[in-house]
Amino acid sequence: MWDGPLEKVGEYRYMIPKSYKGINGNLKMRVPALIYASEKMLPSIKKDNAPEQAANVATMPGIVGKAFAMPDIHWGYGFPIGGVAAFDEEEGVISPGGVGFDINCGVRLVRTNLHIGDLNKETIKQLVDELFKNVPSGVGSKARIRLSMQEINSVLDNGARWAVEQGYGWNEDLEYLEEKGCMEIADSTLVSEKAKMRGKEQVGSLGAGNHFLEIQRVVEIYDEEAAKVYGLEKNQITVMIHTGSRGLGHQVCSDYLRVLEQATKKYNIWLPDRQLACAPVKSKEGERYFKAMAAAANFAWTNRQLIVHWVRQSFEHVLHEDAEDLGMHIVYDVCHNIAKMEEHVVDGKKMKLYVHRKGATRAFGPNRSEIPMKYRHIGQPVLIPGDMGTASFILRARNEADEAFASSCHGAGRVMSRNEAKRRWNGREIAKILEKRGIYVHPASWTVMAEESPDAYKNVGDVVDVMHGAGLTTKVAKMVPLGVVKG
Amino acid sequence: MFKIIEHTADIGIEAYGKTLEEAFENAAKGMFSIMTGGGKIESKVMKEIEVPFDMDEEQLLVDWLSELLYIHDVEHLVFGEFDVKIGKEKLTGRAYGEEYDVKKHGYGMEIKAVTYHMLEVKKDKKGYVVRCLFDI
Repeated sequence: MWDGPLEKVGEYRYMIPKSYKGINGNLKMRVPALIYASEKMLPSIKKDNAPEQAANVATMPGIVGKAFAMPDIHWGYGFPIGGVAAFDEEEGVISPGGVGFDINCGVRLVRTNLHIGDLNKETIKQLVDELFKNVPSGVGSKARIRLSMQEINSVLDNGARWAVEQGYGWNEDLEYLEEKGCMEIADSTLVSEKAKMRGKEQVGSLGAGNHFLEIQRVVEIYDEEAAKVYGLEKNQITVMIHTGSRGLGHQVCSDYLRVLEQATKKYNIWLPDRQLACAPVKSKEGERYFKAMAAAANFAWTNRQLIVHWVRQSFEHVLHEDAEDLGMHIVYDVCHNIAKMEEHVVDGKKMKLYVHRKGATRAFGPNRSEIPMKYRHIGQPVLIPGDMGTASFILRARNEADEAFASSCHGAGRVMSRNEAKRRWNGREIAKILEKRGIYVHPASWTVMAEESPDAYKNVGDVVDVMHGAGLTTKVAKMVPLGVVKG
Repeated sequence: MFKIIEHTADIGIEAYGKTLEEAFENAAKGMFSIMTGGGKIESKVMKEIEVPFDMDEEQLLVDWLSELLYIHDVEHLVFGEFDVKIGKEKLTGRAYGEEYDVKKHGYGMEIKAVTYHMLEVKKDKKGYVVRCLFDI
């Protein structure tokens, strides 16, 4: 139980003051920490040590503004999950702990022109089973395409563009991905042989744990204007993909944690927690990690691009109609574990910042040039995945999000350990309960089904409501699953 | 001998041994028991493993388990028996196992990485205790 100070400083805003760890010495926070939450959430937020982690981040060199935490904050390695921290280009640092092991874990939403009336229980089951067949999922799942080392390097340097050039997807797809599916700064030569080998075995696979592939139904529209622009309406069928960079990203993170741990000592950086290991933005170690991380991010965009291709094929196969005729366009793709160089205005001054988002989503409001032209007057779509059996949301970013370096939440977050969930529930029973609620699930295993029970997670609706109430991102639509492929 | 330790979103192991080597072997057994459903793993193939010992014992534990994780991802193998030797400059080990078969070995959790959280290598009266948490 964390018992530090949390001062209410506004609607849904709680501050850990700068003085919390003392006003002198190594522990001194350079900036305050701000947590977005409702009063109801505070006990669960204080339950683990996550607020202390937010305060720890605030002690790091070159941090600008505040250390932020979204309402889905929970304990993570070094940085809390749900954390956002921006560092100055000159004085600041870059840290793998602020990104996480699953680099560019993210979400992609595909819309269709199908409505609930166009599908029935049987077609949904057929679609889910076809998706399960076409998209490798689960522990130890193998890639269905074989890439050479040269091709892997091309994936790392070019991201989703590589996939589209190879015929996996449509040209227009790239326009609707964050960064257009490629961080140009990526350098495949800085990614280890080991990471590439792991990537080779897993490219185009969903993975396990909380990753999923869902057929959804739009059940509620909160914002007609934005929904129309994003191409969404009530009772429409959508498909959501939640996965990341697989073993390749995990290996890049592990490799560079080792390097940056040495760099922390080399550059004499004092840290309150070993897992915050970092290096100056402008150091060789910092630059190399950033370029390798970008390469892993490109791998993740390719991964989701391949999956979209197989999703389209699966729909074509079951429904005997072209994906184009089914209107299977990408609404958007967001990453929620990443560091980016972005321009933000701080105290009236334009600054180049290294923004770390770990379990947080970029949320650029209207008029940012980085978002697709079609969405520019509305703001960037922010995709919030729920968990099996619960709802997912699409939000729209407001200029108010700029106060948190244009960021929003990313999902629900666990409240119960996997083993506890397994003791409490049985996978087959959960499947039956979900079926009664009109959700068909094809899990890679029944055990995972129990571990990932919806009740093992925080209520994603509460999390989204805080962001809406705080005004950073507002609700556009809510989707519930009809069919789920679970890794 | 090993014990599984739990945290809300995470899982880890605490392993014991009369020697540091034995504790490392048990840590590896613990890791594969989390990744599989605990089914028996037969010794059909053997992999030789070498990890440099260039930092501390804690980092060596991370590197040893990470190496096994890497082989699992790339070669689709699971291991049940280990033979570890720790020298001044490197760890050399043998891992015995077979190809992962979900029907035979069961389905566990996908371990993404070995982390530095709660990482510890400790000597007590009975021998060694090593501990680490995984990212899943």
